[in-house]
Amino acid sequence: MMNIFNTRNLISITLALFTSVAVAAPLSYDLKPQKIAEDTWLLEGKLEDFTLHNGGNIVNTAFIVTDEGVIVIDTGPSFRYGREMRQAIEQITDKPVKHVFITHSHPDHYLGNQAFKDATIWALPETGRQIAENGNAFAENMYRLVGDWMRSTESTMPNKVMNLKPLSLGKHTLTFMALTGHTGSDLVILDHATGVMFASDMVFYQRALTTPHTPGLKIWLKEIQQLRATEHKLLVPGHGPMVNDGRAFDQMEAYLTWLDNTLTEAADAGLSMTEVIELPVPDQFKGIALTQREFVRTVAHLYPKYEEAAFN
Amino acid sequence: MKRRLIAMMVSCLVSFPLMAAQSDDPLNSPMWDYMRNIFIGEDAFVFDDKVVVDVPVFAEDPTQAPITVDASAYSGQIQKIIAWADLNPIQHIFTYFPHPDVIPRISLRIKVQQGTAVRAAVQTRDGVWHVGGQYLDAAGGGCTTPSMGNANPYWESHLGEMQTRLFERGETGRYKLKVIHPMDTGLADGIPEFYIQQVVLRNEAGEDLARLELSQPVSENPVISFDVRNAGQKHIIWMRDNGGNEFKQTL
Repeated sequence: MMNIFNTRNLISITLALFTSVAVAAPLSYDLKPQKIAEDTWLLEGKLEDFTLHNGGNIVNTAFIVTDEGVIVIDTGPSFRYGREMRQAIEQITDKPVKHVFITHSHPDHYLGNQAFKDATIWALPETGRQIAENGNAFAENMYRLVGDWMRSTESTMPNKVMNLKPLSLGKHTLTFMALTGHTGSDLVILDHATGVMFASDMVFYQRALTTPHTPGLKIWLKEIQQLRATEHKLLVPGHGPMVNDGRAFDQMEAYLTWLDNTLTEAADAGLSMTEVIELPVPDQFKGIALTQREFVRTVAHLYPKYEEAAFN
Repeated sequence: MKRRLIAMMVSCLVSFPLMAAQSDDPLNSPMWDYMRNIFIGEDAFVFDDKVVVDVPVFAEDPTQAPITVDASAYSGQIQKIIAWADLNPIQHIFTYFPHPDVIPRISLRIKVQQGTAVRAAVQTRDGVWHVGGQYLDAAGGGCTTPSMGNANPYWESHLGEMQTRLFERGETGRYKLKVIHPMDTGLADGIPEFYIQQVVLRNEAGEDLARLELSQPVSENPVISFDVRNAGQKHIIWMRDNGGNEFKQTL
């Protein structure tokens, strides 16, 4: 009989133990800023849902390095992410971070705020209100979903209310659009020096959009048309790869329209929620990450309103 | 003698690990035996895929998780259907007595306190229980969260108001109704239980077509759908809550 405790096996067992410990030890987002335009860097998140593995790095954040300081757009899902983002910025410039813009109240976009307390953290008034109201519950939920990555993270309020006046820093002038489609309070930022539009979660591309706080799909659709009509060279979605043409808008319009029609027709046919969840998602959307899962969530968020409308 | 001893030892060795590893509950719920004892007792039962419990994989909103129980495979042979969630603090969801003239399929939404097996036990006329179920994952807290109504007095002036619609579905019809009611479980701090206990669908002759006994886990402002065979007929819906309030509407 073979002795499993012979020397060779013992060595490999020890090695195996050792390596698994080594892999588990340091949590790191390993952020790699990608230069997408002059002075402009993108930290692109994964096309995934929150997991213990990805630590919530499913979100796009960005920064603009100007002669007079750095502008940050969203601070990521955790204090750790915020710290790592700052380190990533320091690798590129020694200019201080002056302005941080929080595009909306969802936890993956602002829970890194603790790492930017020394800067001005701007947000729309309604975004601030939503963070004040839901921030702790959002943070708690993130601890549940991604675990230790969240260590020491606390929901931290933006410290300045946005007034929508253009802001200039160095040679970059930013203008702002206050929209509502995704959360009721969504900030879109346009950099006139580079033509980059930071669309926040008003635009998802190749990753299914999320609907827990949308005021309505028709409102969202209308605002997508507004964004399409706004001149820009490069579009950075809140989730998914950037594009320099209308593809992301096309996808948003097609999916929002399909969702709205499907839920309307389902309610008019008297379908129950469990039946709606089982409706097939058309092939054209199958290539979009997490479509089926997000469809189920969307039915839970929005179908009651469609049912309500079908009673009348 | 010696051989028999060995046989016993072998059978012990073989059967013990098997018994330990395998519960007869297909959903492997720790509460199955306890729940069975409460709702089915010593009656004969079978696990039966023809009793369909339809839930999403996870409850996006643990205060409004949709469930459908479809026992239409046993249409016309049913005494009653009992639905419960194993790991809810109040497990019973509803007991449904469908008349042979209705299709025994019902949809509503429930509160879940954590991920749990959701069950439907259908007792047929021969007395046997047919048990179906599905696991519903949830972040939880649905039963101990104060109702929305608790923060908004809208319901006080609209209690029991119903919206209803009949949907034609080929040969059959579906009644969907929504009623304004906080459906308080009594498990949220300082808010006493207040919920609809009885829902009855009657035909014009006054015959009960569907009689439903609800428990606290049914979601706030319940949305319930019943499937009926004779959609052309006029129906009456009647409800009563644990405060003695009665609500009635002609469909």
